[in-house]
Amino acid sequence: MLFLILFTSLLLGGAYALMAMGLTLQYGVARIMNLSIGETLVGAAFAAFWLQTQAQVGPLWGLLVITPAAFVLNWLIYRHLLTPLVRRAKNRGMLEVDSILATFGLLFILQGVMLALFGGNYYSYSYFSEPVELFGHTFALNRIVAFAVAAAVALALYLGLNRTRTGTAVRAVSVDPVAAGLVAIDVARTSALAFAIGGALTACGGALLSMFLTFNASMGVVFTTKALIIVIMGGVGDPRGAVIAALLLALAETTVATLVDPGLTLAATYGLFVLILLFRPQGIMGRRTA
Amino acid sequence: MLEIRDIAVHYGRHQALDKVALDVAKGEIVVILGANGAGKSTLLKTVAGLQAAVHGSTVTLDDHRLDGLPPHKVVEAGLALVPEGRGVFGELTVAENLAMGAYAQRARGDEARRLAQVLALFPKLAERRGQMVRTMSGGEQQMVAIGRALMSAPDILMLDEPSLGLSPLVCGELFDALEKVRDTGVGILLVEQNARRSLEMADRGYLLENGRIVGQGTAAALRDDENVRRAYLGAASAH
Repeated sequence: MLFLILFTSLLLGGAYALMAMGLTLQYGVARIMNLSIGETLVGAAFAAFWLQTQAQVGPLWGLLVITPAAFVLNWLIYRHLLTPLVRRAKNRGMLEVDSILATFGLLFILQGVMLALFGGNYYSYSYFSEPVELFGHTFALNRIVAFAVAAAVALALYLGLNRTRTGTAVRAVSVDPVAAGLVAIDVARTSALAFAIGGALTACGGALLSMFLTFNASMGVVFTTKALIIVIMGGVGDPRGAVIAALLLALAETTVATLVDPGLTLAATYGLFVLILLFRPQGIMGRRTA
Repeated sequence: MLEIRDIAVHYGRHQALDKVALDVAKGEIVVILGANGAGKSTLLKTVAGLQAAVHGSTVTLDDHRLDGLPPHKVVEAGLALVPEGRGVFGELTVAENLAMGAYAQRARGDEARRLAQVLALFPKLAERRGQMVRTMSGGEQQMVAIGRALMSAPDILMLDEPSLGLSPLVCGELFDALEKVRDTGVGILLVEQNARRSLEMADRGYLLENGRIVGQGTAAALRDDENVRRAYLGAASAH
């Protein structure tokens, strides 16, 4: 039973981690608290659904379309919707308030578009749904595939952030945007890049989740909540913290769903969140700020 | 040659700088002396593109206009600032900080050679390349900050209070390093509390009071000036 819970949560946590890394890039680097991140995720799930059912392109191939499309879309959102807010913000607090309001509005626009296109029904599709026997337990192949892809993407992100010049520049902006300008980093451009990568990661997570979860047009807010909880748990701006917190959240959800009642997963999520806020408010990997 | 002309800055109704003009040539150290609040930091920030100046203020570096450019373009033009409080990337390693110093296009071709120079200037950094900068002492962080600025291949290097909070010993090491940097042909514009030590190594100096240049001259002349002695080299001297 323990193994079943651990392994199930690991498989679920992979896609959560992508979304949380997406939000941590958008918030930690571009300083945008993106409340429409759940809609990005659900939008990608619908895109994967549409590609699979209408264009006969499976979600794995679909990722090659969905991820770059999300990158471009998020780049445009940052450039045209959010850059004016960045320019007029006198300080970080003001940008946070403005970006929360702006992306809260964006949430309803994206949700409205999806409701208009797909209605309020629940959707799912069958892909790699054959059972796989692992250590005496049965898992759906699609969950394993989704996890493997999520792990590969997370690893690529980690290497990109730590081993490349551009990736180091992204981290430098996250640490100190003023000092970043003083070493010739174009902070506006790098922030746009981080926001776009964040959106692409989230979309990638959404397409992967759609392989085994049922979704509808108005459930974005559930994922936004999860992403916020993961990022606050993990420590803002640290992708490693986001991964650990994503796995913890998946573990809490799976444990409660398996041992208590599936209806209580959201309660478990909040329970964990409150515990972290009480005992480690700076996050798992975060440090106390002076 | 860095030429600063007619720089004026307002913070609301307060005039922080009023028609400030000064020059820095390559291969010389120029020090700006002034009390707290005289406008020294504002001047360096304005030249670096971090602070907006009043229309009509001009900054030129070898005939390139720098005024109005964002900070990253100022660095790209050959003017680097080590800000007050150092501005190092605390969550990045020493090696990463130095690599980010060479982010400017102008510095990329020559990165390996410059890194060797910086590590020769500050051998301590060579031993600590993998260390997270926030875990280092103030003096070591200042070395990272100066080394990082040098990695951008600057023609002119500006430093805002580099000795602040450092022990006299570390401070001496730092000033020795700055003299070596000058000898490689880089021009240095230095804002310093430690007037005695900075006038010892500087070639020229300016006196800034209430946002205005009220005096200038060779470092030797300033050292002997009665007013300077009273205002900056007396009990007010830090070390």
